[in-house]
Amino acid sequence: MYRLIIGHEARSLVRSPSFLWVLVFLAGAIAFGAWTGAEVMERQHRGVEAMQGLSDAAKARRRASVAEYEEKVKATGASMEAAIFSHDEGDGPPQATNAGSMGRQLSSIARLPATGLAPLAVGQSDVLLSYVPVTMHNFITVTRNSELENPVILKKGPFDLAFVVIFLVPIFILAASYDLLSSEKERGTLAMLMSHPISLRQLIAAKVVSRAAIILAVVLCFGFGAMLAVGSDFDNAATWGYFASWMGIVLLYSLFWFSLAVLVNALGRSSATNGVILAACWLVFVVILPTLVSFAATTLYPAPSRFELTTAARDAQTRAEGEYMKALDEYYYDHLEYVPNAGDKVNDFLSVTLAKENSIQKAIKPIYDHFRAQLQGQEQAVSWFQFLSPAIMTQRALSDLSGTSSARYADYLEQVLAFHQEWVDYFTGRFLSAEPLTTHDYDNFPAFEYVEASPATVAGRVMPSAVGLVLFIIVVAGAGFSCLRRYQVAAR
Amino acid sequence: MQGTAVSGGRAADLRTAGARSAIANIGTIARKEFREVLRDGRFAGVAVVVVLLLIAALVVGGQRYAAQRDIQAIAQGDVNHQFLKQGDKNPHSGAHYGNYAFKQNGPLSFFDNGVEAYSGSLVFIEAHRQNLALSPPASDLSAITRFGDLNGAMVLQVLVPLLIIVLAFMAFAGERERGTLRQLLSIGVDRRQLLWGKALGIGAAVLMVVLPALVVGALIISFADIGQGADAFWGRLGLMAAAYLAYAAIFLFLALGVSALAPSGRAALLILIGFWALSMFIVPKAAVEFSKRAYPTYSFGEFQANMAADRTRGLDGVSPRVRLAQYQQEVFRQYGVDRVEDLPVYWTALRMQKLEDMDHEVFDHYFGGLRDGYMRQQRFQDFFGVIAPSLPLASLSMGLAGTDLVHHYRFTDAAEQHRRDMIVKVNDYLADAAAAFNARRDPNETDQLGANRIFVADEAFFATIPPFDYTPPSLAEVNGRYRMHYLMLALWLAGAVAFARFAVGRLRPDMH
Repeated sequence: MYRLIIGHEARSLVRSPSFLWVLVFLAGAIAFGAWTGAEVMERQHRGVEAMQGLSDAAKARRRASVAEYEEKVKATGASMEAAIFSHDEGDGPPQATNAGSMGRQLSSIARLPATGLAPLAVGQSDVLLSYVPVTMHNFITVTRNSELENPVILKKGPFDLAFVVIFLVPIFILAASYDLLSSEKERGTLAMLMSHPISLRQLIAAKVVSRAAIILAVVLCFGFGAMLAVGSDFDNAATWGYFASWMGIVLLYSLFWFSLAVLVNALGRSSATNGVILAACWLVFVVILPTLVSFAATTLYPAPSRFELTTAARDAQTRAEGEYMKALDEYYYDHLEYVPNAGDKVNDFLSVTLAKENSIQKAIKPIYDHFRAQLQGQEQAVSWFQFLSPAIMTQRALSDLSGTSSARYADYLEQVLAFHQEWVDYFTGRFLSAEPLTTHDYDNFPAFEYVEASPATVAGRVMPSAVGLVLFIIVVAGAGFSCLRRYQVAAR
Repeated sequence: MQGTAVSGGRAADLRTAGARSAIANIGTIARKEFREVLRDGRFAGVAVVVVLLLIAALVVGGQRYAAQRDIQAIAQGDVNHQFLKQGDKNPHSGAHYGNYAFKQNGPLSFFDNGVEAYSGSLVFIEAHRQNLALSPPASDLSAITRFGDLNGAMVLQVLVPLLIIVLAFMAFAGERERGTLRQLLSIGVDRRQLLWGKALGIGAAVLMVVLPALVVGALIISFADIGQGADAFWGRLGLMAAAYLAYAAIFLFLALGVSALAPSGRAALLILIGFWALSMFIVPKAAVEFSKRAYPTYSFGEFQANMAADRTRGLDGVSPRVRLAQYQQEVFRQYGVDRVEDLPVYWTALRMQKLEDMDHEVFDHYFGGLRDGYMRQQRFQDFFGVIAPSLPLASLSMGLAGTDLVHHYRFTDAAEQHRRDMIVKVNDYLADAAAAFNARRDPNETDQLGANRIFVADEAFFATIPPFDYTPPSLAEVNGRYRMHYLMLALWLAGAVAFARFAVGRLRPDMH
């Protein structure tokens, strides 16, 4: 009986032109979403390559002048010396041997590699720079660049697969199931159906199963096709695990909307009223609650002004300039291990500049830490508020699984800051001990390698959202099925 | 035929009497519709939600605006002071120390913050380099903000049309389903009067919802001193109100028309909500993707790498080194000398200015290209306004609020102009002063740094560089740029009214 109804429902759905249009539209939206997600990632990739090329070319030029100098030194039998910082290149060692100068001028591109599923959910990767050029400049200067994109485009947001899932899939689900029972009742066929040996719960379950099967089959097939078309890193088992979880989240999110349709149908109103109620639910869960949560989080934990951070850094810079001898003392004191004879300070332009940078960085560190703490508070608030709306939970889960979430970026930024310190230490040490940079050094500059979070960590990030979705489904579906007990089969 | 029998005066009387009765009819219908809407339970619920959201959005928006304005003023004052008080130093070092330009938010950003979250808010002004505007607030915000911002503009653009749809979809379909339409038409009620009456009634209900929020908005404007110094603040506000009114009317007449034509109330609702979702989310986002393909722009990496390449290579393939050598010969000819040492002016300063001038061409090409590309993309997206009226309204609203790309680029352009003026001042000053200094310098004198003492100007020199300031685009300029958008909204309105009139003309008491 059960199977009979599912089969019957599926057949009549597939024969309904409006439902077929819904499916076509859904498939088209998924394909379009994949196309656009791929475009964002390609653009990012072009940016990474160009940046890497720029950095490599600068390094190659410098290395060539060092190589030439090395030849000359070898020929004359003299020993290598580091250049003194100057604007003119004379006969002496080339500026490229000066570690203090090169640490500022050369850069290492700290790349946050895009995961294989990144095109499926663009997340914040169109706003945040995922290839920070690290130099010896202070870390505020180093990390404050962002990806270059039209603000109008960023404001409207990408039409990626995550958008299709979060915004459009519920519309299609609701369009297919807002009148699960009400239409049968309005046509008078419900009473007739109920004369068969089947319960109302079985009937509605069969209807949901048939619709869910068809819609989810389309989402799964086209989603899978989209992943094969625009995704990458298929050799990695983790990619498949994340994709399976991706689809699991989509399934949970869809089930939530089906349960909601059951609940609203169980209230026994007319189809038109059901439509209005469900449309209102969509509006509340997908549009109003997320904007309200965003509004609340940014009001409770406002990001401290970048203006204030900038003027504070400026103050530190001015102070360091006014008392540059003190800054220099401090600099030497901070790096005593490198200085063979601490009393013998070289106070040329470059040393003073580096010393100033050192003081600025020390002065702004506490302000920057406060800044990051506020942002963490904001993120923390959102991670609690997410339980208000399945749409927020789904957005967070999907971007975590796609490696485009705020959490992964924050992790990356941590690693960039650590790497920045490594870079600064490397060049500072060689500069202060007046060691010339050799071609061997050029081939062995510190390089950034992003340490990917383990699948367990990612699972830990996604788990609260997934559990929240399950709870939503249990509560809503439970309420729906218990309401069915009081359902009036025949119109009065 | 009757006209011949009655005098001209009576005919006029009849006409005015007719007009009077038409107005009376419309008034009656409007009052009935208005009362019915108010009694509707759905209305109260939706209205309360919309009012609360609107008021919350405006209050917090006003607060954020005022806070940002104060911080901006203090920060700009601070950096200007720091620039002036940087001590006696070589002016070129001073130019390297540079200054910051902090962006002021648009006068109506408390209502519509436009692209402000996504465009850079500060520009570092320094020697040799035009910098990108840094720190768009969105890069410091949680990803959830990508769902959209809650502000007055969002409520009026997205939620109010939905309110209108919910109130109007049953206007004719409901009368038909209840059977009252047959009665109405049989007693000879004019269909157009019916349309206008219903439009007025529902429109009044919507206004009643929005009005308290407008009062709150007005209070915020006066308490937070919003709009002082803005060009034609009240003109902007008035045009904005007119645009939003037209936008609401578009949805009202579309909804009434669909309600008259659709086979049932349920069908009308589905069609209208479908159009709403299309207009608010699907078309704008799809338009974005098409505009990206039509007018690709550089990513950060491509922008930096290509610009760096052209700075060394020269835009036209003539390397700056070659052009600099030519320039040096020109200067030599001008002063009748053939050695740098014999020049009465400081060659380094001339050379630096020449390098700057050559760089400006490259900067103009890249930064100008970026700006033009973004503007073209937006224009391309706005053409989709033909199918989604929300697009022209959203752009127009940002423009009038002073939070669009035009206002943003006026700021960054002004910052760049300020930078170039500063550099010219520094180099002009150096060209003469440093030459004079070098002429009488004792080569044996050294400074604390152990180097040959370089030219140091008095701190007072920096006061000759005026503080950064800029004038946002005037209302006339905004209107000129958004002519197409005004036209689109007007066409949509005319089309919606024509559609509604056509629909009531075909109104049938039942669908069979």
